[in-house]
Amino acid sequence: MKMSMVILILCTATLVYVQVPSGSEILKKIDQNITSESKIISSKMTIHGRRGSRTIESKSWIQGTDKAFTEYLAPAREKGTKMLKLQDQLWTYSPQTDRTIRISGHMLRQSVMGSDLSYEDYLEDPQLHNVYEAQVEGSEPINGYDCWILQLTSKKDDVAYDTRKIWVDRQRYVVLKENRYAKGGKLLKTIEVKSLLKIKTRWYPERVVFKDVLKSGAGTEFTVDKIEFDVPIDPYIFSKAALRK
Amino acid sequence: MIKFLFLGLLRDRSRSIFPLLIVSAGVALTVLLHSWMGGVQNDMIEANANFYTGHVKIITNAYLEQIDQIPNDLALLGIDSIMSTLQNEFTDLDWYARIRFGGLLDIPDESGETRSQGPVMGIAIDILSPGSQEKDLLNLEKSIVRGRLPQQPGEIVISDAFAHKLNLNIGETATLISSTMYGSMAMHNFIVVGTVKFGVTAMDKGAMVADLKDMQYVLNMEDAAGEILGFFKKRIYNNLMANKLVQKFNQLYNQPEDDFSPKMIALVDQRGLGEFLSIYDYYAKIIIGIFVIIMSLVLWNSGLMGSFRRYGEFGVRLAIGEDHSHIYRTLIYESFLIGIIGSICGTGIGLAIAYYLQVHGIDVSYMLKQSSMLISDVFRARITSTTYYIGFIPGLLATLLGSAISGIAIYKRQTSQLFKELEV
Amino acid sequence: MIIPHLAVRNILGAGLRTWLNVIVLSFAFVTIIWTQGFNEGLNAQASKAMIDAELGGGQYWHHNYDPYDQISLPDAHGPIPTLLQDYINNSKATAILITQATIYPNGRVYPIILKGIDPGQKVLQLPTRVLTGTETMLPVLIGERMAENAGLRMGDYVTIRWRDAHGTFDALDAQIVHVMKTTVQSIDNGQLWIPLDKMQNMTELRNKATLIVLGKETQPMAEIEDWVFKDLNYLLKDIRDLARTKTVGSSILYLILLFLAMLAIFDTQIFSIFRRRKEMGTLMALGMTRLKVIQLFTLEGTMHGILAALLATVYGFPLLAYFANNGMDLPQSMDSYGVALGEKLFPIYSAGLVSGTALLVLIVVTIVSFIPTRKIVKLNPTDALRGKMK
Repeated sequence: MKMSMVILILCTATLVYVQVPSGSEILKKIDQNITSESKIISSKMTIHGRRGSRTIESKSWIQGTDKAFTEYLAPAREKGTKMLKLQDQLWTYSPQTDRTIRISGHMLRQSVMGSDLSYEDYLEDPQLHNVYEAQVEGSEPINGYDCWILQLTSKKDDVAYDTRKIWVDRQRYVVLKENRYAKGGKLLKTIEVKSLLKIKTRWYPERVVFKDVLKSGAGTEFTVDKIEFDVPIDPYIFSKAALRK
Repeated sequence: MIKFLFLGLLRDRSRSIFPLLIVSAGVALTVLLHSWMGGVQNDMIEANANFYTGHVKIITNAYLEQIDQIPNDLALLGIDSIMSTLQNEFTDLDWYARIRFGGLLDIPDESGETRSQGPVMGIAIDILSPGSQEKDLLNLEKSIVRGRLPQQPGEIVISDAFAHKLNLNIGETATLISSTMYGSMAMHNFIVVGTVKFGVTAMDKGAMVADLKDMQYVLNMEDAAGEILGFFKKRIYNNLMANKLVQKFNQLYNQPEDDFSPKMIALVDQRGLGEFLSIYDYYAKIIIGIFVIIMSLVLWNSGLMGSFRRYGEFGVRLAIGEDHSHIYRTLIYESFLIGIIGSICGTGIGLAIAYYLQVHGIDVSYMLKQSSMLISDVFRARITSTTYYIGFIPGLLATLLGSAISGIAIYKRQTSQLFKELEV
Repeated sequence: MIIPHLAVRNILGAGLRTWLNVIVLSFAFVTIIWTQGFNEGLNAQASKAMIDAELGGGQYWHHNYDPYDQISLPDAHGPIPTLLQDYINNSKATAILITQATIYPNGRVYPIILKGIDPGQKVLQLPTRVLTGTETMLPVLIGERMAENAGLRMGDYVTIRWRDAHGTFDALDAQIVHVMKTTVQSIDNGQLWIPLDKMQNMTELRNKATLIVLGKETQPMAEIEDWVFKDLNYLLKDIRDLARTKTVGSSILYLILLFLAMLAIFDTQIFSIFRRRKEMGTLMALGMTRLKVIQLFTLEGTMHGILAALLATVYGFPLLAYFANNGMDLPQSMDSYGVALGEKLFPIYSAGLVSGTALLVLIVVTIVSFIPTRKIVKLNPTDALRGKMK
């Protein structure tokens, strides 16, 4: 009797140990990792074009998931250009024209600075659990790290990428690789995280490569130089007036 | 002998002046027709050449592959050096760098917010440099509907219908939103100083013309251009010369393995114009051929009539002992003289008129409601090497043939019969 | 009455000389009509090709549709109106759905327009039937220019990416099942044709269309809500504007040809008057007034013209009719600004052209016949009898 109890306890413990979290749980943990009350990010975007590579430096102030202000710092031509995201609206300011223009409709589909990202990508809700249902399909190592493979299916009709597949670091709950698919299942974009930053208890992608799979080229690299979480940000910055300052 | 015949011709008006007039007139018309058909062909491609293709065009290998997409990221770099080379080594043509681009034109209200916006196709040409002929090539001056052409940096003209659609007045600001050569967003404020009519709906719906240097700055294309267009100095396309030029340039400067190496293409290799020209050539040859035949018949008939009238004279000459063949030969020689002189005069007259039409043309802009950039309103002739001799076919050959055939009667008719016809 | 009688007698009496002149003048006549007909055919052919391949008898556009503004496309579609659906069912109209898409030939990004059309449609002369009966998941029809620009050939696969009605990306590898030879650039450049039902499913725009093309004989209806009818005058505006300016060039050609006719008759008249001065003197001596002599000679010239016109009809009519029906072969198709021609050129001879030319030539011939006769006014009958002009 005592032996059977021990075995039962051991089995239960083992079961508990090997229990796979649900897709939804994993998504929530991912979102917890990358989202915060606020963020200030200094970053570089390197665009590999046919004629060579170009690096653009910027600094972004982000409040929650709805507000973001980005200022381009280098090269000289881009310096002073600003972008403001307010919910689903995107505005850009150019110092040369001293004008604030709303990027909407057709323009949203244009690429940012010639990169493999579009303005639409920039606008999307970063919290995956809001947009996708997730199923855990297995696991696979990526760059030596054990990862869950999650199949994401959109909850809504108006999502740009109907399905995604993500490889989530089992320990750190960070997406190390992402595939974005068309409705018919064709692979459209890939995102690979090359390195991570640890800030206190969070893990944040440090170097990411975006690639439009359908077109040739080396894609776009996104590197975070510095990131601060939960810092106070003057709410004034998230206004159109702040663009012109 | 020639002198005798010549004097004989001069003394008898009916044998000289009338036939000469007829032959000259016929030859002049033939020459005029030939040069006119050539001119019409040139006119038909002129707008295409001036606006899109040039007589020759230089772009990079990569740009050529996607030429319909206007890929400015694949533009020519080092334009200053290329232009200098072209101006020194290829002096038969005038060279112009241009940039084509697309984007949005955004019109601000008083507070700088968007008042109206519309997609725009643009062409950047050298408007401001003194002595630049780009304005004339594109017929800009005549196509102005309102306002004026740009006179300083930062000024543009847009299509008139577009201005109406955007509710834009002359002197107002328009912000161009486009992409730089490297893909970044480009924004720039321009003053719209005038509106133009392009003449083609697609352009009239949304197009603009800006100065080249302005757009080089805006699109981050300093010392760069999408294309360089070359035009023969007489503004008449010469396919033979163009092809030679293309071969020479590409041999010297084009490297097929280098995506960004400059490559020259001729007008006939663009926009289906080669097919168009070959069709029109075919059509023109038929028209001219038929005309030459008919004109030959007219002049042959004239020669025939001329000889018919002289049967009486031949009768007298036979009666006084002149040999049949001698009379026939003199007839032929006279026809030859008439034919040559008439052909030379006619060709001269025809060429003179054709030359005037080639240089000045017939301006029909008064007939059209509004001049436009893409529909030519001046019709010109075009003189080629063929124009110089085509008149001789009806002028000389037909006249000779006419006399030769009618002169056979000298052998066939009795002297007395010819003599009697003196009175008819 | 004596004048016409005399004129006819003189003309017929001159025998071969008259007929030679008449033949040559008739050639000039036929040449003028043939050339102008050719020119008119040239202009009309371009319109014809567009009507056959693209415009039909006019088009209903969705009110948001603007062919010059691709930004409008995502909103430029609506349910096919019931009335027009009846036309479509009876092959009197056909629906076309248009959306933006991107293709990736050899890794290149190539923005295009995707057009869905019923493969079985009979309204437009397009080889749309190639879009059925294949096992390919997505068959595509393209024009030669598109094929050349994109580097595609028949049988090639190319990835197409588009967005459905909700904005969600979709992509598929489509196969080029046919490359059509067309002279109409606006159905060729920058676009792919696929079956309408497939396109409606792909984009989740079922039973929707961007434009509806009417058959050539189909009459448009009164106003339909959300749809705007564009007639051929509107749709062919650019071609017609171009053709209008070309008429000036054609007019010069016409003028030159007219001079040819003038030359043919002038020659005859001048010689005629010069040679027949004795006859003139005789007639005047017999009591004919100078005016009547002038009338006689002018009428003779005019009659040459009439005979030439009649002769031209005899051989010209079958000749021109042959060309009008069978056309003239052209070596290749012709393109400029998107102006199109088929492979044969069909001349157009309007009643206006023929009768106008006939009248004009007759007037010219009469004037040219009259001018040299003015000398007769100064003629002294006694001098004329002696063979002198003055």
